[in-house]
Amino acid sequence: MSPKYTVHATPEAREAGAVALAVSSLPASFGPAGSASAAVVRVIAGQPGWTAGAIEAIDAGARGIVVVNPAAESVEELRRAAEASGAAVVLDQRWAANPAVAGAEDAVRAMAGRAAVLDSVATAAAGSDSGALLADHLAAVVRLTGRLENLRVVTTGTHGYTVTARLANGAPVALQGILSGARPAGVDITLLTDDGGVSVALPEPLAAWPARVKVTGPQGELLLPTLYESAHRATWRRLKGHLDAGTAPSDLHRFAALTESLSALS
Amino acid sequence: MSSHTDAARTLGVGILGAGPVTQAIHLPSLARLGDLLTVRHIMDVDPAVAESVAARVGATHGTSIEALLSDPEVDVVAICSPHQFHAEQVIAACRAGKKAVLCEKPFAWNADEAARISAVSEETGVPIIVGAMHTFDPGWLAAEANWGDLPDTAHTIRSSIVLPPNARFEDFATEIIARPASSTPDYTDPEVIKGMLKGGIMGLAIHDLPLVRRFTPDFAEVEVLEARIARPFGYIISLRTPTRTIELRAAMNNTWKPEWSFEAFSDDASVRVDFTPSYVQAGSAVATFSRAGETAVHGPFDHNGYEGEWRELTALATGTRQPPSARTLIDDLTFALDIAEATAARVDADHKAQRAVREGAHA
Repeated sequence: MSPKYTVHATPEAREAGAVALAVSSLPASFGPAGSASAAVVRVIAGQPGWTAGAIEAIDAGARGIVVVNPAAESVEELRRAAEASGAAVVLDQRWAANPAVAGAEDAVRAMAGRAAVLDSVATAAAGSDSGALLADHLAAVVRLTGRLENLRVVTTGTHGYTVTARLANGAPVALQGILSGARPAGVDITLLTDDGGVSVALPEPLAAWPARVKVTGPQGELLLPTLYESAHRATWRRLKGHLDAGTAPSDLHRFAALTESLSALS
Repeated sequence: MSSHTDAARTLGVGILGAGPVTQAIHLPSLARLGDLLTVRHIMDVDPAVAESVAARVGATHGTSIEALLSDPEVDVVAICSPHQFHAEQVIAACRAGKKAVLCEKPFAWNADEAARISAVSEETGVPIIVGAMHTFDPGWLAAEANWGDLPDTAHTIRSSIVLPPNARFEDFATEIIARPASSTPDYTDPEVIKGMLKGGIMGLAIHDLPLVRRFTPDFAEVEVLEARIARPFGYIISLRTPTRTIELRAAMNNTWKPEWSFEAFSDDASVRVDFTPSYVQAGSAVATFSRAGETAVHGPFDHNGYEGEWRELTALATGTRQPPSARTLIDDLTFALDIAEATAARVDADHKAQRAVREGAHA
């Protein structure tokens, strides 16, 4: 049986998004296209200017677009193009695309009004780009919390950064980036309330272990169901769902909020 | 129950101040060390508290510091009184010729007091240790034995504390009498915020600031970049020295789930030490080293830092261990005081800037 949707990826996107691995894990749904023009789904890397590339792909007839690690930029024009053509645009983000994020988001939002503090640490290998780490970090946090107020860089350098903000209820937010090869890269997010909180640990998309989300309250601690699926595969599975149903993902809408936050930082 | 007769060969302990820390931390720790130490004299300004607490261990009681210090049954003295009395009481205990002194943190309120204490200790030969219990925790000591050059190469340090109110764990440890009342602070008053932050540093962060300082060779150049409170009580403080980034976090709330960790990172190695909560007997800290794909874990061991500090005091009193250098104690104290003062100054500066913005907006 041939796959439902044919795929073409640019070389940069293929590498960054581990496209072959993700597509091969959904073999009934996706398979390689002979050429870019023949592909139902186009995969592009998220370097600056990626929105123009995505619009070109939509204009060329693509019904699905996967953007790997998109850089912050305005997505308004792309939203209009996608809406007009009915194309589904999904974003394959390093941590924010992890399938555990949906459950974590529900847990965080349920407690956000009672939040006392949100503390988060992202780690990446020594020598990594601090700005890129912060963008990935912020994408994961904003996905859980929604827009952050008073976002400000306290310090940044070759070993990482400290960024400060506030949640909507005024609770302090502290984001720290640490560049060290001591531990596997990942992000930990901890929201504390008066009587418990939520802790989220998100691994790299290619890590051989899943995310972990724990919700703590007066009755004890609940480990949310473990989802043994990478951020890459979860992105592709979501795309399949939208293509099958003809629905529009909310990725670009969410990304606009992230871009707004990041531009407030610069 | 101990008695003077069957404990004749143990060292006699005298305790100045019989509040919750004495009741819920020191007496249970000493109960585990009955082969080394026996509580012989309890002093408190409240005679009923002194009598009641002393009765638990069969000790003499009273309201007089002088009586305790002149009691020949008392070999070592623990100073657990309110902070402002620490310095004069440490000095008095040294002058009384005791074998060793344990002083709760902070042991002084300024560098001059600390230097005075150090001079008296040197003159009298009485060793002093400060009750920074994590520095005596076997998990921390195991980390120290295995960290190699990490204190020199680390660039990022984190201290993170999440604790329930003390009462929750005090009640696991003992039946407290005369617990201090708590109140709700006015979070809109900058002076209250300053007080909370300084109190957080000198009362809570101070547990781990000696650990932070071990990884911060240029600690004298510490700078406070940002300081905020978390409600109902806690802090988020960002520090920097020329070579280190230091983040201090604390939240005291009504959770049942404590977390108390210290972390240090270099480019290729890290250590994380997870401490057990105070008051309860939950064994030692666990130290975890990570180096690019490898993890080494040390601990847990069978006792915590409070028991560790009493073991250390015993070793000092019997001459089997050398006391810590006075320089270490003074540097630990001044590091904490510098951060507390700089944090208060940071709050003042932020408040002033915010007021200027508000006035500008209304101009």
